[in-house]
Amino acid sequence: MPAVVLGTDAFLSLAKATSAKHGLPHMPVALVPHPLGGIAAETARAKADAILDEVLRGLTTAPATPAATAAAGPTLVEAPDDLDGLQGWAMEHEWSDGLPVLPPTEARVAKILGRRAGDELVATLMPLDGRATLHAIAVNAALAGAGPEHLPVIVAALRAVAKPEFNLNAIQCTTHPCTPLVIVNGPIATRLGVAGGPNALGNGHRANAVIGRAVRLVLQNVGGARPGREDRATLGHPGKFTYCLAENEAQSPWEPLSVERGFGRDESTVTVCGSEGPHNVNDHGSTTGETLMAAIAGTAATTGSNNIYLAGDPLVILGPEHAQTIASSGWSKAEFKRRFWDAARVPLRKFSAANIERFRLTHPERFQGAGADTLLPFAGKPEDVMVIVAGGPGKHSAIVPTFGATRSVTERIER
Amino acid sequence: MKLWSPFSGGQAKVGRLAPRKPSLAGLTIGVLDNGKPNAGVLLHRVAELLAARTGAAGVRGWSKPSAARPAEILDDIAKDAHVVLTGSAD
Repeated sequence: MPAVVLGTDAFLSLAKATSAKHGLPHMPVALVPHPLGGIAAETARAKADAILDEVLRGLTTAPATPAATAAAGPTLVEAPDDLDGLQGWAMEHEWSDGLPVLPPTEARVAKILGRRAGDELVATLMPLDGRATLHAIAVNAALAGAGPEHLPVIVAALRAVAKPEFNLNAIQCTTHPCTPLVIVNGPIATRLGVAGGPNALGNGHRANAVIGRAVRLVLQNVGGARPGREDRATLGHPGKFTYCLAENEAQSPWEPLSVERGFGRDESTVTVCGSEGPHNVNDHGSTTGETLMAAIAGTAATTGSNNIYLAGDPLVILGPEHAQTIASSGWSKAEFKRRFWDAARVPLRKFSAANIERFRLTHPERFQGAGADTLLPFAGKPEDVMVIVAGGPGKHSAIVPTFGATRSVTERIER
Repeated sequence: MKLWSPFSGGQAKVGRLAPRKPSLAGLTIGVLDNGKPNAGVLLHRVAELLAARTGAAGVRGWSKPSAARPAEILDDIAKDAHVVLTGSAD
C-alpha cells in the first residue's frame, strides 16, 4: 500500500536510515520544521498546509528505484601512517568516538581474533541491521585499544544487546540519554582486572575502559548509530564513551546478579542495561536499612525519569558500606527490592497537567483513572528492580535509571 | 598504512515500493499515529486536507502505544485503508 512518512527536519537522517534498512531508501518523506512536541496543537496543525503537495505527490507518483549497492565484506583501506595524522582521518571517516584510536592493522586484528573464525556472525545490530561478525568486532576492539583477552566479554555483551527484549533499535536512536551499561560477574572480572571496587565507574581501569568502549564503537560503526544522525540523543551522557564495571562480589552481603539469574558462581556473565548515567546517593548519617531508604528512594523517585512512566528494570548500585548497613538490618536482597519499590514513588500531582494528559493517552493501562494522589512506582514490580554491589569504601550508592522500554539481558561469557 | 575498516555490510538489497495510486478519489486514507506528541494532530490534519482536496472517501486512524516499539497492526491497516500516512520523530 502506498505510504508516506511525515517527520520533522531534525530527524530526516533517522527516517532515511530506517527506510534504507528495510530496503526502501526511496520511501517518500515529507518534512515539517522541528519540533512537533511541546507546541500547541494549533501550531502543529498549521505545519500541515506546507507539506500537502509533497504528501500527495508521494502517494501518487512513483520515485525512481535506486541501484542496489554490494554488501561489503572486510575491507582494507589506506590511512595515514603517523598516529597523530590518523586521529583527524579517523574522525573524517567516522570511525572514532572522538578519543584517540589505535590503528586496526592486519597484525593487531589477527592477534585479537587468534584462532577464532572471523566470519562467524555474533549478532545483527540495529538500526542498520549491521552484521557484527567476529572480524568486525575485532577491528573495533583494536580501535578501542582492547586485547584478545577482552574479546569474549565484548562478544557476550553484543550478543546480549541484540536480544529483542533489549530493544536495541530504540536504545540506539532515541533522544533519551542511554547506552548499554556492561556489568561483569564471575571469575573473569578478577582475571581481566575489570574493576568493581573504588572508582569502578570512573577512570583508571584499562579493562573497564576498553571493553565498554569497544562495545560502543561496534554499536556506532556496525550498528550504524552515528551521533547526531541515527543516534538522536538530545544530550547523551559520558558513559557513551565507555560504561563497564564488575560487581564487587567479594564485598556483597548477598548473592551476585549472575547467581540471581540462574548462573553458577564459577560462571562468568555480562549483563547489559539500557542505562542513563549514575545518579549519586549520598548518605553518611543513616545506620539502618530503614533510615537509609529515604536517600536511596528519594534519588530514584524523580519527575524527569523515564522509569516513572514506562516502568522497566532500573538499577540500584549499592556501595559496599551501604549494602552492609542494609544487610545488618536483616534484609535479604529481595527484601531490599520490595521496600525500595514501595518507597521510590512519585505522586501524579508532581507532573504538569499536560504531561499527565499525555501519559493517559500513551499509557492508558497505567494512568486512566489515576488521581492526583496516585503514587507511581519506579519499576513495574519489586522483582524488576536490579541490585548490584559495587564501589569502594565510602557512603555512596547510585541509581541508574533506564530508557524504560528495554529489559536488561544476561549472557554467559564463553571462553 | 593499511587498516581494516570498522564497518560491516548492512542491508544491501533495494526493494520495490508499493505501486502509487493515480488519484486518491474514492480511497480511504489511513493514518498511523506513532504516539509522539502532536504526531496524530499533524497526520490527521494532513489527511483531512488531502481528503477534502482529492475527493477521498474518508480518513481512518490507528495508533501504536509507543514510538519505541514496532507496530503490530499493519495487517489491519492494509485491509482497511488504500494509502497510509505515518510519522517518525519528535
